[in-house]
Amino acid sequence: MTCLHTISKSPDTQLLESCLKIIASGDAILFIEDGSYYANSARKLEAIDKTCKIYGLREDMLARAILTRAADSVELIDTARFVKLCCDHDKIVSWF
Amino acid sequence: MTENSKPQKSRITFISRAAPYGQNKANLCLDMALASAVFEQDVNYIFFGDGVYQILKGQDGSAIESKTLGNALETLELYGIEKIYADRQSLEERDISEPELLPGMQIVDSDSIAKMIESSDTVFNL
Repeated sequence: MTCLHTISKSPDTQLLESCLKIIASGDAILFIEDGSYYANSARKLEAIDKTCKIYGLREDMLARAILTRAADSVELIDTARFVKLCCDHDKIVSWF
Repeated sequence: MTENSKPQKSRITFISRAAPYGQNKANLCLDMALASAVFEQDVNYIFFGDGVYQILKGQDGSAIESKTLGNALETLELYGIEKIYADRQSLEERDISEPELLPGMQIVDSDSIAKMIESSDTVFNL
């Protein structure tokens, strides 16, 4: 069973750090809205287990001028793929 | 003592600490500053913490059906607000360098910000 964790607030909120405490291997993390700014801090992303996929919503990053600054470990996706990810995972946990 | 009929001019410092788009704090802070400028107050505008994300070049709000905040910030100068600052440490923490910023920003240290606060009559911290 896998979970999709969506993070929607900026790194100032420490949401990723909280999420990483309870994440299971094989889960996925998706940065949306102000969570996009996590893609700008490659160092924080290094703490994520290598079995966890990291995604970022392209539209939210484009609006915030973060798209070109996104770390290589973040896979950029569109909203259609967001929907597919929601279906492909058993549960969605929202961090906000 | 005579009544002073002229509106008093005060120095107002705005500290904008919110990232754009996710919430409306950035817009509210800007609106307050523009209103103050219309009434000819002496305004300092400081981008601090996540607020520095507001002044990144290349924003495109249309991607999420929002107004691009970077464009709105250009109105600061139109309204006569010329003292616009960004906190150096906030930029460094976010790996943002000066060429990536919108024009017209002065990068300052926290000491200078402390002094600005001290010399202000009112401080809005949003």
